[in-house]
Amino acid sequence: MLRVSDTLRRNLLTQPETGMGYQRVDATLRDNKTERGIVFNAELLVLDGEAQATRRSYPNTNPYSILLKRSSESGVEIRALRVLPREGMAFRGLEAKACEKKAVPAKDGATEKTKADEVFKRFSAFQNDYRVNADGSLSRGSYATTEEDAKNVKTGSDAVARYALPNSDPASYRFTIKPNKDSDIQYGTVEPANGQPGGSVEVIFTTGTQAKTVTGPDKIPDR
Amino acid sequence: MRIKLDKGWSKRLRELPESGMGYQRVDVRFTDGRELKNAVVLNGEELEVPNDFGQVEVTDVGLHKA
Repeated sequence: MLRVSDTLRRNLLTQPETGMGYQRVDATLRDNKTERGIVFNAELLVLDGEAQATRRSYPNTNPYSILLKRSSESGVEIRALRVLPREGMAFRGLEAKACEKKAVPAKDGATEKTKADEVFKRFSAFQNDYRVNADGSLSRGSYATTEEDAKNVKTGSDAVARYALPNSDPASYRFTIKPNKDSDIQYGTVEPANGQPGGSVEVIFTTGTQAKTVTGPDKIPDR
Repeated sequence: MRIKLDKGWSKRLRELPESGMGYQRVDVRFTDGRELKNAVVLNGEELEVPNDFGQVEVTDVGLHKA
């Protein structure tokens, strides 16, 4: 049984449960091996192998209840967790469409238009983010996230995990983007990459943003 | 290790779309003929390379072609 880090826990809490109080996941461990398991209460991971071994030892008892009673940790680090999609769920048409839409990365999303007064955030490890131009515009093809998703990011390390960044330096510089109405934008979901879970919302400003639309950065804690 | 790209390459990369927030996946060619595929450039200026590429100059950088 492994304890889930604060960063991974926050990410799990943004994703749906598989059942009440638990999520089925693929866990990438420190040795880069991926194993399937269950995370209880977004904090304790029980790998399937552990459950099977316990079931053999205690055939008449629910293995999870035994494992959960054990408080010892193996010390093996969890590098990433991917919540598995629920199987056999019947979605109504619109909900299914919304799920499909969310599942693709922004680069594969349809180009849409921003609404009036929409706000976005961009996290960077660099105070002098080169995509932010001197006139306060954002270069075309630049990534960001929605203001709502950014509320889950409390530290620069959170940003690295949520947006699956290849640079492990904390992305602690937070820029605010308020594009003009009807700016071109693509929405999508961050794919797991670089040993990070992703799963959060990403957007691309396909043609960039206008002058005086980017402010900041403000600095959030690194860890 | 990371090497800092010349301003000319950074300027070119600024015109190209990102691969994710704050980074670009690129293919790089070096003066000694070697190529590096799918390398990461951070903030348009810091290229991540294996240690033995540290002393070699870059002759071309473009977005990674899958």
